[in-house]
Amino acid sequence: MGRYIIRRLLQAIPLLILLTIFMFILIHLMPGGPEQVLFNPHMSAAARQEMRVRFGLTDPLPIQYLKWLGQTLTGNFGFSYADNLQVSYLLGQRFPATLQLFIPAFALALILALFLGVISAVRQGSITDYGLTTISYFGIAMPAFLLGLALQYVFGVWLHILPTSGTASFGTNFTPFGAFLDHIQHLILPVLTLAALSIAGWSRYMRSSTIEVIKQDYMRTARAKGVGPFTVLFRHALRNAVIPLITVVAIDFGAIAGGATITEGVFAWPGMGSLFFSSLAARDYPVLLAILTIGGTLVIMFNLIADILYGVMDPRIRYA
Amino acid sequence: MEIFEQINLNQTAVTPDELEPLLEETVELVQKRRSQGRIIFDRFMRNRTAVFGLLFLILMVLFCYFGPTVTSHNKPDLLHPIPLNAVLEGGLRPTLQYPFGTDDVGHDWLARAMAGGQISLLVGLSSMLIAIILGIGIGSVAGFFGGIVDNLLMRFTDVFLSVPLYLLLFVLSATFTDGSPKSIIILIAALSWMYTARLVRGEFLALKEREYVLAARTIGARNFHLMFRHILPNAAGPIIVSATLLVGNNIILESVLSFFGFGIQPPTASWGNMINLGDNLFDVNPLLVFIPGMLIFLTVLSFNLVGDGLRDALDPYMTER
Repeated sequence: MGRYIIRRLLQAIPLLILLTIFMFILIHLMPGGPEQVLFNPHMSAAARQEMRVRFGLTDPLPIQYLKWLGQTLTGNFGFSYADNLQVSYLLGQRFPATLQLFIPAFALALILALFLGVISAVRQGSITDYGLTTISYFGIAMPAFLLGLALQYVFGVWLHILPTSGTASFGTNFTPFGAFLDHIQHLILPVLTLAALSIAGWSRYMRSSTIEVIKQDYMRTARAKGVGPFTVLFRHALRNAVIPLITVVAIDFGAIAGGATITEGVFAWPGMGSLFFSSLAARDYPVLLAILTIGGTLVIMFNLIADILYGVMDPRIRYA
Repeated sequence: MEIFEQINLNQTAVTPDELEPLLEETVELVQKRRSQGRIIFDRFMRNRTAVFGLLFLILMVLFCYFGPTVTSHNKPDLLHPIPLNAVLEGGLRPTLQYPFGTDDVGHDWLARAMAGGQISLLVGLSSMLIAIILGIGIGSVAGFFGGIVDNLLMRFTDVFLSVPLYLLLFVLSATFTDGSPKSIIILIAALSWMYTARLVRGEFLALKEREYVLAARTIGARNFHLMFRHILPNAAGPIIVSATLLVGNNIILESVLSFFGFGIQPPTASWGNMINLGDNLFDVNPLLVFIPGMLIFLTVLSFNLVGDGLRDALDPYMTER
């Protein structure tokens, strides 16, 4: 098992390095580098050259890359062009809001997908299965922002029961508990939107995975021995069916990150997604690249976790 | 069994006339030979949802490409005069003259929907073609040659797969595109070839061990001949399915880009930037958002249904029902 983990780690590290090289090249391809932003346009040529040496812009590219890598690894992502703040400070400010959106949506999506997938599989061919499969088809075809807009309209404009954007209502003076409830109200629609898209794909996967497990002989044996249907489902089928789903969920992390960005854009939720959009509009490249690099690193990490989890749960993989 | 008894009882039938009634009963034994394409077509046609999807797609293509020429709604950029109270209400509601209504400055929403459909479908299909060609190119080389080539190409592919797609899409579109459909097509293609490449590589890895490849190699076939004349046609099934699903995916990508202001820029219409325009008037006139939204949704749904139907039709392990 340890060897398997080490092997996977060794495969992930070159990927991380390649990712950082890719990001670095991307920085340099983008217009509007540090010279245009930080240097006084009226400087003399000599002063400009001296500033370049001081900022390390005259070093050969590989050296610049190594310096950039060293800085990034210690968490110093540079200075934002638009706000003149440390990028890491900006990210730290916005991170809790994104986390508030991400974790409930992820948990909701996972639990519902599991539940719906199993129900669909157990009642394969019935109206329930047909209905759930149709809904999941709809979910896959629906673009992320459209669902958000539709929910905003139905619950915000038409029924007028839920707020459509932001994290708090204006001009109100709530008690702390009231403010908490208000915050939860603002959280509902974005979380639903973010969860819905993952539920569609995951429940289909869970359904086919459970169908395959149910067909196995050991399930029939367990039932023949007299084990009740629910026990058989939970103790045998679910455990084996969940294994491929966990890897799909971990690999889907990149898609959920993108979905979170879009949801934050639609609902004006002040998280890292909104920061991404405002930096995009302001062409604030240090922030953008920091978000891309962190996103990429997290995706690679989650893929690694998925591989390791798969090895833990299915011993056959470890010896492949 | 009765057929054989009948033949024996009635002596041997020698003339074709006497054979006819017997042949009608042996219809299961003497089946009409169908070509491979015909078999796949028949199996596809038996899948009702897939046929509905295909019909809808045909209707959509007719709507977008022939609608402007046969109806009078062929000026998507023209600002039609509308009464003042309609401006305050976010545009005219659907009437006979403007079946989809207008927005608050007087754009004929039906004309824009048709023009937008042309652009969205064009972007979806072209980016799919480029992505497929790239994916087949890289995947086939990686899968066929294996070893270091495979390793390097797959590492390269993995880097693209590691960055969250939407984030990279937005950053690259802000920097490198200029609002023209051509640049958007290239951008979307550049970020969606990876899935096809992986698929093709897997197929090639499996198929290159087959015996007909060994046989062809024995009589002296060269590598490219093997790859594209022997292995690729047999890998075509999953590639076709993946291509169909990719179109739907790319249409969604283009609409997301345009909705946030980074894709096709107005006045060129696209379903995504129609939603962007309508978003400002969402609370007074939700139709402006929901009409292009429904069009996107139904088109992508149809592509998905057709793709799934193709997958079932091409699956060699699925017995005839």
